[in-house]
Amino acid sequence: MSSKKILLAGTVLAMIGLVWLGAVYWMSFFWVSTEVTQGIAQRIMYVHVPAAWTSFLAFGLAALFSAVYLWLRDERLDRAAVSAAEGGMVFATIMLTTGPLWGKIAWGTYWTWEPRLTLTLLLWFIFLGYFLVRSSTENPERGKRHAAVVAIVGALDIPFIHLSVIWFRSLHPEPVVIKAEGPTLPGDMLTTLLMSFGAFTVLFLGLFLLRYSLENLRSELDTRSRHASV
Amino acid sequence: MWPGTQDWGGWLTSVSVPVHREADEKAPPVLQAQGLVREYGSVIAVDEIDLSLARGEFLTIFGPNGAGKTSLLALLAGALRPSRGQVWLRGEPLDFGEVEWRRRIGVLSHQGFLYGHLSAEENLRFYGQLFGLSDVDNVVRDKLQHLGLQERAASLVRDLSHGMRQRLALARALLHDPDIVLLDEPYTGLDPSAALVLQGVLSDLRDGRRTVVMVTHNLSEGVALATTVAIMNRGRFVWQGKRAELEGDFGQFYHSVIEGHG
Amino acid sequence: MRNYLRQIGTILWKDLLVEFRTRERLITMGAFVVLVAILFNYAIDWVRVSPEDIASGLVWMTIMFAGLLGVGRTFHLEAEDGAFQGILLSPVPKDAIFLAKALANFVFLYIVALLVVAVFMFFFGLEVSRNFGMLAIVIGLGVLAFVALGTLFTAVSTGTRMGDTLLPVLIFPLLAPVVIYGTGATSQFLAGRPLTEAEGSIKMLAAIALMAFFLGSLLFRFVVED
Repeated sequence: MSSKKILLAGTVLAMIGLVWLGAVYWMSFFWVSTEVTQGIAQRIMYVHVPAAWTSFLAFGLAALFSAVYLWLRDERLDRAAVSAAEGGMVFATIMLTTGPLWGKIAWGTYWTWEPRLTLTLLLWFIFLGYFLVRSSTENPERGKRHAAVVAIVGALDIPFIHLSVIWFRSLHPEPVVIKAEGPTLPGDMLTTLLMSFGAFTVLFLGLFLLRYSLENLRSELDTRSRHASV
Repeated sequence: MWPGTQDWGGWLTSVSVPVHREADEKAPPVLQAQGLVREYGSVIAVDEIDLSLARGEFLTIFGPNGAGKTSLLALLAGALRPSRGQVWLRGEPLDFGEVEWRRRIGVLSHQGFLYGHLSAEENLRFYGQLFGLSDVDNVVRDKLQHLGLQERAASLVRDLSHGMRQRLALARALLHDPDIVLLDEPYTGLDPSAALVLQGVLSDLRDGRRTVVMVTHNLSEGVALATTVAIMNRGRFVWQGKRAELEGDFGQFYHSVIEGHG
Repeated sequence: MRNYLRQIGTILWKDLLVEFRTRERLITMGAFVVLVAILFNYAIDWVRVSPEDIASGLVWMTIMFAGLLGVGRTFHLEAEDGAFQGILLSPVPKDAIFLAKALANFVFLYIVALLVVAVFMFFFGLEVSRNFGMLAIVIGLGVLAFVALGTLFTAVSTGTRMGDTLLPVLIFPLLAPVVIYGTGATSQFLAGRPLTEAEGSIKMLAAIALMAFFLGSLLFRFVVED
């Protein structure tokens, strides 16, 4: 695909995602019924859970692109990896800010060692390392390689982190919280949640493509200025 | 005239260079590179270098600091991955996953690659074992003797003088009897006696069966040893030719080439 | 294969010999461990808490921090006089270099980890004799996972401007499961619970160590190439 087409596809997807997100907001504020025990605060779920899913999708893509980058050494794969990783940071940050907001109202405490919340926090730090490694090497090519290694090891460590934080939770049970997710959700809540999953995914893909074409333009600018100076 | 004197007026007549011809002219070049490019981000260190060296050839590369000489040597040693282009050893493309070809390359740089807390002998033994030499004990003893280090074999490298360390570094680089030798500014920081030893060892390398690439700032000795000379600037060979083609004062020639290009 | 093992042995032996002569890393790590324990004595009210309740977490965190000190210096000796370049230019596969460096780190850190346990016994009367064998295995597995990830990411952080300061940011998130299963199993041993209860944790630690060594040997070549 030419870079113009990628830019166009990214713009279209991002626009669709934004409109769709608007619809999701309308649904979660005005259409869906209020959950009985937690009240209004439970509506945060329609942002919190899809943001978590999107960040996992993004980090997974970043690790995948990184692995193929080390294999094929195609610059475009590295650009795709860093674009996905940035998206992952954004959505993980959304997940990590909405979680405590919801928690404070629902359970009276900002932070719980809820396994998915903990996992996302650790992932956030793994990809913080990814960006620190990238930006602190003298030789950018080495930074890309090293960052790719961080992403791959991080992604393959996730199953262990996931299992361990769940196991830890089983050893140290906290007050039971309401499980407001899963297929036991009443129909209109499930519809809203699924709509939100769709909106977040499409929005992420749009932002990812826009970010990717920005990276492409940057490298083209770099090449051109280099040729101009010779 | 050796060493350390900067009088290279008589460099052309003072040394005769044996010219070795391969019996089989169709044999692939020992060391070959094509379109070699290495970039560090937006900086191009090595820019489209082609070279082809046969058995017995001694290539000396001159050039100002930052010309990309060390990067080129690292590319030829397989220590650096080219951004574009390819290196061949005896017609075989250099494969980074495979390490056997390293047994045939010896590298000497101004860093000695030596461990200060190991003795001279232990350093050589360590590298001998990494190279999988079959008779490490004898090889190490011979090398120490050859370079006049047998008295200091048990001394820690950190206690050795700079000249002694340089000798040991030479012994290390040639321990596995490589047929391709890459030298990165071997004269840097040498005292006269160490330079003399180096001179002798480098002359021995021109035994017709080895291929040598040397990067140096030392114009007189670099030219005296060479069969082929290249002048490098801004990542490119700006002049390249047989030593026999050189006439007159090489110092003037070198400066005119560099300035003409710059 | 024999050549491969001999190359690993050569590098490992060299690291042990250099450490035996300089004693740099063992002394700094050992001193750190004892000093931390002295500070713990004043930081924690030992009248209210019994060592068995709290020791497993302290032991593991002390090992982690001491490990950072030691593993962070993996390539410092090699950096002098470009010796690491000398190894890279020799016909040793990169995974063999990784395994040798990680095993050398294992020897140092395992000695220090056992010292941590000894210090807790000596200072705080921690009772470990009942399950000492199992405790040594659990700590050994945790240290294996630590040195594998630590060696890989020290090579990464050494190549950055930030150097060793970046190392904890890179490896602590990855080591969360090691700390969780390690402290879990350790506190079960210290509480005198049946060994079968810790079986799951031990298996997980072994799996993590295995994965860490696998990834390290696979990815190390991408870190040290240039």
